[in-house]
Amino acid sequence: MLLFRGPHWDRGLSTDELQQVMDKVMAWFEGLNERGKIKGAQPLGGQGRVISGTDGRFVVDGPFTETKEAVGGYLVLQADSPNEAVEIARSMPTLRYGISVEVRPILAECPIFQRHPELLRRVTDPAAEQLWVAVAA
Amino acid sequence: MSTTTKSDYLLLFRGNVWDRGLSPAQLQKVVSDWMAWFERLKAEGKCVGGHPLEDEGKVISGKQRAVADGPFAESKEAIGGYFYLTVADEKEAIEIAKQCPGLEYGSVVEVRPVADECSIKQRAQEYSTHELAGATA
Repeated sequence: MLLFRGPHWDRGLSTDELQQVMDKVMAWFEGLNERGKIKGAQPLGGQGRVISGTDGRFVVDGPFTETKEAVGGYLVLQADSPNEAVEIARSMPTLRYGISVEVRPILAECPIFQRHPELLRRVTDPAAEQLWVAVAA
Repeated sequence: MSTTTKSDYLLLFRGNVWDRGLSPAQLQKVVSDWMAWFERLKAEGKCVGGHPLEDEGKVISGKQRAVADGPFAESKEAIGGYFYLTVADEKEAIEIAKQCPGLEYGSVVEVRPVADECSIKQRAQEYSTHELAGATA
């Protein structure tokens, strides 16, 4: 999964520059799509909420629009290797304007099982695990 | 997506240290509850997919397209996984986020609307429209 961070890279660019960059981004995306590398991708809206605390008692508006760390969108890649995923991320046209791309392997199983091998993998309903794996596959 | 009354939201689960200090029994319960929660949302048609992400990963940034190891392990901010929701409105997305079994142990859930179109593309079009309006005025 590629997470695109820093949704305000367009500030300070002229309309012409912006149009050129967006054309490059669209061409980049279409190229990957034609090669069958994209399983899913969406931009995210700047609004949002952050939920925390027991039973989600804290609900705050997320400060997503102004930070460089904010996630502005994502792309689920079907890459042949971690290296290929990194190379695809490196070819993202907006990197030179200050965004960063986080490249994270998607797992079939929660990493908590790696950290706690003593945990039973069986859940209350065996179908749940199958479903989890099916979605991740 | 935009042709129905349903809205899409991404739940981003932040923090991958919440399992510290939990007994195996507590941990087992949280993991089982989490999977059962995922299964129920799937069965209800409210969650169309979800994945855990591996703690390892890379961050790519800058004009040089530098590749760095991501500090994703042992972080309260790191994204550990996501659910893709299709629900009636933001209120329902928040209500679902509040059910996250990890909240009690320090997990944080970010609720983000999935956008139909990239906000930067929209801004680029707005700029063009403004210029056009200025030129014809």
